[in-house]
This record gives sequence, structure tokens and C-alpha cells, in this order.
Amino acid sequence: MNSEVRRLLCSNWLELVARWVLGLTFLYASCHKIFEPADFAKIIYGYYLFPDFSINLIAIILPYMELFSGLALLLGVYPRSAALIVGGMLTVFIIALTINLIRGHEFDCGCFSFGNTGQTDAAIQLLARDTIYLFLALLVIFFDRTRRWCVWRRADFD
Amino acid sequence: MSGKDTAKGILIILGLAVIVAFTANFLSPKGIALFGEWDKSQGVVTARAKDDFIVHELEIDNILDAKEIYDKGSAVFVDARARQAYEDGHIKNAISLPVRQFNELIDKFAGQYPTSISIVTYCYGRECEESHELAQYLIDEGYTDVKIFIDGYMCWEAEGYPLE
Repeated sequence: MNSEVRRLLCSNWLELVARWVLGLTFLYASCHKIFEPADFAKIIYGYYLFPDFSINLIAIILPYMELFSGLALLLGVYPRSAALIVGGMLTVFIIALTINLIRGHEFDCGCFSFGNTGQTDAAIQLLARDTIYLFLALLVIFFDRTRRWCVWRRADFD
Repeated sequence: MSGKDTAKGILIILGLAVIVAFTANFLSPKGIALFGEWDKSQGVVTARAKDDFIVHELEIDNILDAKEIYDKGSAVFVDARARQAYEDGHIKNAISLPVRQFNELIDKFAGQYPTSISIVTYCYGRECEESHELAQYLIDEGYTDVKIFIDGYMCWEAEGYPLE
């Protein structure tokens, strides 16, 4: 790898930016889902991917996973753990988007608001966006130097 | 941070999320049931929120029954969808009363249709709740005979029944 790129990827400023972008994004994304759980449940139903018994449970729990992961990333509390959770959620989103894109099923992603039924172009944009977020999550996960601005520091490589 | 600490962090964040999620859902007036009704064969799909409008007792869940009422002319069909959706196509002779504009339109509607008439509300089908919401608002306004045609516009159109 080019040494300049390696140096950039190891920069704790870049890690901080990645962590804050992810943290703020997930914090923001959780709000409308928390305030309108019934609407969010319907969005999950609209993916036609999840078994009936799981829909309400996902609608209840997922927004708070986003909220607490986002907060942990912002504050620097268990940042690697939070990034792993966020990375896991992003991977599921990407798989769900891809399946619906392949089968041509139009749906509302429900990511940041409700009521925007996605066309193919929009789904591709969502995929690209989530892939960038996943890259940021990986950057936080594999960062192995001292992180900047962590409220609670457990070790040098936290 | 060791792998053990990372796992501990994941457990703490997830544990906190689950505890707060169920507590908030239990306390919130917009909370939903742990399990929703997502089987369309059983009626309109719903998360069974505390503040939802679903009343299965008011549902006409057989399109033939709805058609019979329509043919007899014994009820006014009222379209709960947005005005644009109504203009794009609706059940023939249905009246538009978009549920999102209910407050601004109800006085005019009430002036034309007395509370003694029979009403059948509808929206797209079993995945929309607007027809239930509109039915509840009409009942609150004093309409006593309100039913909900849950298969809605999509099914009516698919059956080749009269549209305009």
C-alpha cells in the first residue's frame, strides 16, 4: 500500500471524523424510528424479507441499537464494539437492499424518513451510501492506535 | 482493546439498547405490540400500535360483499387516499375524502351527506390503514353505519369492477 495512503488510514484525525460521521448518522437515523414505531414496522414488513413474528421486535429494538451505537461512537465509549454493531447492521441493510434490487421490488428503505418508495436508482444510491458507511465502520474497527477525544479510555488501543 | 473487552462492549451496548427499547415501547403512547398482524389473509396488516385505528369488526373482508353493497347502491363509497391518487383512478361514483385533509373537508362532506347514511371507506388494499383511520374519524363525527372495504382500490381494479 502506498505509504501516504497508509499514513492517512492510520491518522487518528481520520478515525475521529469516521467515528463522528457514523455516530451522528446513526443517531439521526434512529430518531424518526423511535418516535413512529408503527410506521417503521410497516417499512420492515415492506421489505418482504423478515418472518412475521420478527417484524415488531425488529421495529422496537433496532432504533435503540442505532441510538446507543451512535452515542458510543460519538463519545468514544467502546468505539470498536459500537463500530462492529454498526458494521453488522450496515451489512444486513446492504444484503436486504441487494436482494430487493435483484428481484425488482420497490420499497421504502425507511432510513432517515418514511414515505419515500425507492426506485432502482434510489436503491443503488442507498447501496453506495451504505457501502461508504461500512468502509468508515471498518476504519474504526481496525484502527489500532490511540483514538482522539474518547470520553472513557480503557486502553491505548481502545 | 482486547477481543474480550470488545465483546463486553457489544454486550453492554446491545443489552442497554434492548432494555431501554422495551421499556420505552411499553411506556410510549405510540408503542406497538410485541407481535403485529402481518398476515394479509387475516385482514389489514398492522403493527397493533396503542394509537392505531384498526377495528376488524368494521371490515368487509370479501370483495363480493363489497360489490353487492355497491350494486345495491345502499352505501356511499368514500376514498380515503390522497386527492392525486383519487384523481388517477377510483371506484366509480366514490367520493374523495383524503384522511390527511379530513379536518378541512369534513364540514363540506357533512353538509352533503347526513350522518344517517351508510358509508364504505376504502384505500389501496390490505397494506394501508387510511380507510380505518377515516372510518374512525367519521364515527367520531356521528356517522353510525360505517364499514371498511379492506381489499380496496387495487383489488377492485384487478377484478375489473367499475372505475372512473
